[in-house]
Amino acid sequence: MTAAEQPSTRKPPPKHHGTRRLGMWVLGWQRFRRNKTGLLGLVLVGIVFLVALFCPLLAPYDPNDQSAMLEFRSKAPPSWKNPLGTDRMGYDVASRVIYGAPTALVVGLGSMAVAAVIGIILGGFSGYIGGMADEFLMRFTEFFLVVPIFIVILVMVRIFGIVVVGTPLEEIPYLNLSTIILILGVFGWPPIARMARAEFLRLKEMEFVEAARCIGVGRAGIIFRHILPNALPSLIVIIALGIGGSILMEAMISFLGFGDPKAISWGQLLSFNYEFLKIAPWASIAPGMAIFLTVLGFNLLADGLTDAFNPRLKE
Amino acid sequence: MGIVRFIIRRLIFMVVLVIGVSILIFFMINAIGNPIEILLAERPGISPEVIESVKQYYRLDRSLTEQYLSWLGNVLHLNFGNSIVYNQPVGSMLVTWGWETVKIQVLAILISLALAIFIGVTAATRQYSKIDFGVMSTALLGRSLPGFFLGILLILTFSYWLGIFPSYGAYSTRSPLMGSALLDSLWHMVLPVMMLTYFNTATLTLLIRSNMVDVLRMDFIMAARASGLSAGRVVYRHALKNAFIPALTYLAILFGLMLGTAPVTETVFTWPGLGFLYITAIQQLDYPVIMGENLIITLMLVIANLLTDIAYVFIDPRIRLE
Repeated sequence: MTAAEQPSTRKPPPKHHGTRRLGMWVLGWQRFRRNKTGLLGLVLVGIVFLVALFCPLLAPYDPNDQSAMLEFRSKAPPSWKNPLGTDRMGYDVASRVIYGAPTALVVGLGSMAVAAVIGIILGGFSGYIGGMADEFLMRFTEFFLVVPIFIVILVMVRIFGIVVVGTPLEEIPYLNLSTIILILGVFGWPPIARMARAEFLRLKEMEFVEAARCIGVGRAGIIFRHILPNALPSLIVIIALGIGGSILMEAMISFLGFGDPKAISWGQLLSFNYEFLKIAPWASIAPGMAIFLTVLGFNLLADGLTDAFNPRLKE
Repeated sequence: MGIVRFIIRRLIFMVVLVIGVSILIFFMINAIGNPIEILLAERPGISPEVIESVKQYYRLDRSLTEQYLSWLGNVLHLNFGNSIVYNQPVGSMLVTWGWETVKIQVLAILISLALAIFIGVTAATRQYSKIDFGVMSTALLGRSLPGFFLGILLILTFSYWLGIFPSYGAYSTRSPLMGSALLDSLWHMVLPVMMLTYFNTATLTLLIRSNMVDVLRMDFIMAARASGLSAGRVVYRHALKNAFIPALTYLAILFGLMLGTAPVTETVFTWPGLGFLYITAIQQLDYPVIMGENLIITLMLVIANLLTDIAYVFIDPRIRLE
C-alpha cells in the first residue's frame, strides 16, 4: 500500500451528522460496526447463543447416550460416527460439548443478573446520595474486593452440598449448579457497584439532570429515567466482562471437583476426562476450546463496546 | 493526613479484614455441625465415652464463640492446631507445603517480569508495527485462555507427545534426573512455571506497553532525546521508570494472590503445594488446615495491598493520602 492510498481507507464521517438526531445506541453501533475484534466477539457470543438454543437439533446424540460402550467404542478418536470422538464412558464428546453451551450461558447470565441487581442498587445509591452512606458502602465494597473470593467460594460450595443432605432442598434439580450461580452473583457485584457509583457521580452533576430537577422530576424519576439509561453502556461493558469471568470461574470450580455432577458443563467434562488425558485427549481439548472461545467472545465484545461507547477512553 | 496516620488506618482495616474472613470461614464450616460428629458418622461403633473425651480434648463441648476465640488465641502464639487427616501440626505443614508453592510462583513472577519489560518496551517503541500487533493479540488471547486448559495443552505437548518434561509431581519417585536432586526438581518445575509465566506475562506486558506509549509522548522524553542521550538510555532509564508504577500494583497483586491461584495450577500438575493441600482439606473436611490456610492466604493478599499503597506514596509524591 502506498502512502497516497492511505487516507482513502479512512471512512468519511456519517453524512447525517447534525441533521438527524441520532441516539446514543445508534451512534454506538455505528462505531462498533467498524471494530473488527469487537465484531468477532459478537459473532463468537452469537454462535454460543445459537448453539445453546438449538442444541437438541445440533447434537448428533443424546448427551446421556452411552451406546458406544456396548460396541466397545469408548475412548474412540474422532470419526464420521463421532465427530469429536467418544470419552471414557462412551459419551459422544461433540454432543456433550454442545449441551454444555446452555449451562455456560445460564451460569454467566444468571450470576451476572444477581450481581447487576446488587451492584447497580448499591453503587447507584452510593454515588447519588454521597456522604456517610457512600463512605460506608465503599469500605464494604473494598472488603469484598480484597477477600480471596475463589477460596471462599470453594468452601461454601462444598459445605452447602453437605448441609442440604436429608432436607427437602435436596429434591431441587441442579441444586449444586444453582448454588454456584448464586454465590458467583453474590461475590461478583463489587466491580459493577464501583462502575455504577462512578457513573452516577459523573452524571448527577450534568446539565440535563439539573434541567430535569428544575422541571420537578422526582428522585426516583431522575435515577431511573435520566441517569440509569446514560450509565447503561458502561455497565453493560462491565457485565459482559463479568459473564466471561463467571463462566471461567464455574469451569474452574467444576474442574477442581466441586461442580454439579448432574449438570453437563464444560468444566465438569474437563474434570471427568482428566484422568484419561493421555488415552483420549480429544475429550479434554473440545470442552477446553469451548470455554476459551466463549470467554474470548465475551472479552472481545466488552473491549469493542468500550471503544464504541466510551471513545474518551480510547487513545 | 500524615504518612504514619495513613499506615495506622490501613493496618486497622487489614486486621479487621483478616479477622472478618476467619470468622466467616469458621462459622461457615461449623454451620454443618460438629466436626467430630461428621467424622464419626463414617466410622460407627465408637463408644459414646470415647466421643465425649475426644470432644473434650478438642474443646468441642464449648460454645462456638469460645472455640473461635481459643483458635485465635492459639494462632497469636503461632499454634495452628493439628491436621485431622495428616495428624501433623498445621504450622509446620504450611511451611513445608508452602515452600513448594512459593518456589514455582516466585520463579514464574521473576521470569515474567523480565519478559514483560523486554516485550512491552519493544512493542511500545514500535507502536502499530507488526511486532506490536502480534504482542497485543497474543497477550489479549492469553487473558481469555483458561489456566487449567493451558496446563492441559502443555502436558499434552511436552509430556505426552514430545516426552521431555514430567506431567505431575515435584520430584521423581524412583531415581532423580541425572542423579542430581536440584536438576530433578528444576526439571519438574518447567511445565507449571511455564503455565504461570504465560498468564503473568500477558497482563504485565499489556500494562507496561500501554504506559510506555503514554510516557514516550511526554515532554521530558523529548527533552532527554534533544539533550543527546542514547535511545536505549532514554527508553530504559527515563521512560521505563515512569511507566513502571502501574505495573508495580499488578506485581503486588501477583504476589498477594500467589496462594489464591495455586489450587488450579497444582491440581493440573498434581503439585504438592498449598493449593493442592487446600483442595484435599476441603474435600476431607480437615478443619484446622482450612482455617490455617485461609488465614495465610488473606494475610498475604492484605499485606501486598498495604505495601503497594505505601510504595505508591513514596514513589509518586503527587499522590495525596485520601
